[in-house]
Amino acid sequence: MSSAVLSHVSKRYGRTEALHDVDLTFGTGVTGLLGPNGAGKTTLLRILVTALTADGGEVSVLGEEPTTPRGRVAIRRRLGYVPQETGFPRGFTVFGFVDYMAILKEWSRRSTRHPEVRRVIDRADLTAVATKRVKSLSGGQRRRVVLAQALLGRPDLLVLDEPTAGLDPEQRARLRDTLSRAGEASTVVISTHQTDDVAALCERVVVLDAGRVLFDGLVDDLIGRAAGRVWLSDVAHAAAQHTWRTGSGRWRNVGDPPTGVQLIEPALEDAYLLLVGDAALDTGIEAVA
Amino acid sequence: MTTSDARPWHCDEETLAAFALGTVDPVSGTSVETHLMTCAECRAAVSRLYPADLLDLVWDGVRERVEAPAPGPVERVLVGLGLSAETARLLVSVPAMQGAWLVGLFCATGFAALATTLDDELGLMTFLAIAPLAPVAGIAASFGGGADPAHELVAAAPYSPVRLLMVRTAGVLATSVPLAVLVGLLMPGPAWLGVAWLTPAAAAVCLTLAIGPWLGHTATAAVVAAIWSVTVAGAARMDDVLALVEPAMQILFLALALLGATVVALRYRTLSTPWRQS
Repeated sequence: MSSAVLSHVSKRYGRTEALHDVDLTFGTGVTGLLGPNGAGKTTLLRILVTALTADGGEVSVLGEEPTTPRGRVAIRRRLGYVPQETGFPRGFTVFGFVDYMAILKEWSRRSTRHPEVRRVIDRADLTAVATKRVKSLSGGQRRRVVLAQALLGRPDLLVLDEPTAGLDPEQRARLRDTLSRAGEASTVVISTHQTDDVAALCERVVVLDAGRVLFDGLVDDLIGRAAGRVWLSDVAHAAAQHTWRTGSGRWRNVGDPPTGVQLIEPALEDAYLLLVGDAALDTGIEAVA
Repeated sequence: MTTSDARPWHCDEETLAAFALGTVDPVSGTSVETHLMTCAECRAAVSRLYPADLLDLVWDGVRERVEAPAPGPVERVLVGLGLSAETARLLVSVPAMQGAWLVGLFCATGFAALATTLDDELGLMTFLAIAPLAPVAGIAASFGGGADPAHELVAAAPYSPVRLLMVRTAGVLATSVPLAVLVGLLMPGPAWLGVAWLTPAAAAVCLTLAIGPWLGHTATAAVVAAIWSVTVAGAARMDDVLALVEPAMQILFLALALLGATVVALRYRTLSTPWRQS
């Protein structure tokens, strides 16, 4: 069953078209949302979490209409959200902030709220800093505080906007574990610039560019599109859409290869670069990569 | 207990079980407790004798005491006045209840009092310009863009926007009104001046709240402040500042306040968030 359905959704900010005729459905599991800056990823997520209203089209989240007050409250009760950026009220400890968010999520009884707050703090690996002020934490720890509040009540829909920003490799691995477990029973939507996170976590990926859906399908299918278009060489190839010198000293090239080159297995990043680059060539705009 | 000259001794299981259940006699209990501090084997043995759920319960109790922040003095007062601990927590987290805002408010009203010592008319004009705008500034601080650092999270929480509005507005009024009333009572002129500014303040607050979700609370507060400041300055030029709080004007401000309150009551229920979408 689909947790969220967007049909012909559009959104504008003044003259800028953030989303154009977007059709998407999200079901149980982890879905990755990729796209260059300004592609409309955050706008899409904010519509899903009812923080923003679409200008056109129809949106249904967890079987409810976010356009009605009753529907919004019903959605928010089953929702966990990690925004791209957020601050914290002054003076709060980690426990105090998560507890504050739990109150806003209608956990009105302290006897059930505090054990739940402890559970999500443990789940986000914050037990050791639970009594510390949020302002004194590192950037990665603050991201985990935001994640902790999103896990309150085991939400049916978990929406995360660049959750791995600022996390070290070990923290990212733990976050992947947390999200993959959540994805077993819930719908998890992650917007990120980290293609390796999507490759490691997601079965399905959606690529947005300039407010339009460029790709919606399995990660392996997207990678498959790049087969035969990634190669190594001893010199940079000007014909490649993207080329860079790797740590081994050889050049990795992504694009349409000349004959006789050494083709290699593409990665999700290669496929993403090609997809966005090809779209830019088709529309005559400069690729943002 | 079992002892040996050659080997370290250990508590027998019966004694440990009595210790775990709390039925051991005081002398043996003290002895076991001292022994447990140095014997890992007996510590492991006694921990197995405790029911797992009891250990979890005790541990949760310890964490509750250590981790859950104790309510501050303001929170305790609010709970003492009959508010729930949860509402009190939301109230003290209102930006307008926090340090920088309170210092600003104290300075602004103090400035009006100071002006009175220089010149009665100047002091009166300053007070009338500042007092009704103090709660408006608080509204901007509580609902304006960037005022609430966690507003993106709050916007996606199911807590009622209307209730949140009431809690935050109560926080603003609780901090700004008493101080301004106190300064007003010290002003030269009639005693009723100390409370007469409340109707223009109510009108300004209600209109700011009513228009805020569309124009933005900060922008609305700025417009309201500009209109009020021009009005006060105009009255001062005509040497009749008190005319702004006379009965006819009071009725006008009351009507504006009612208009704003009606818009708030009708429209906030349908809003996605109490502040403007961005």
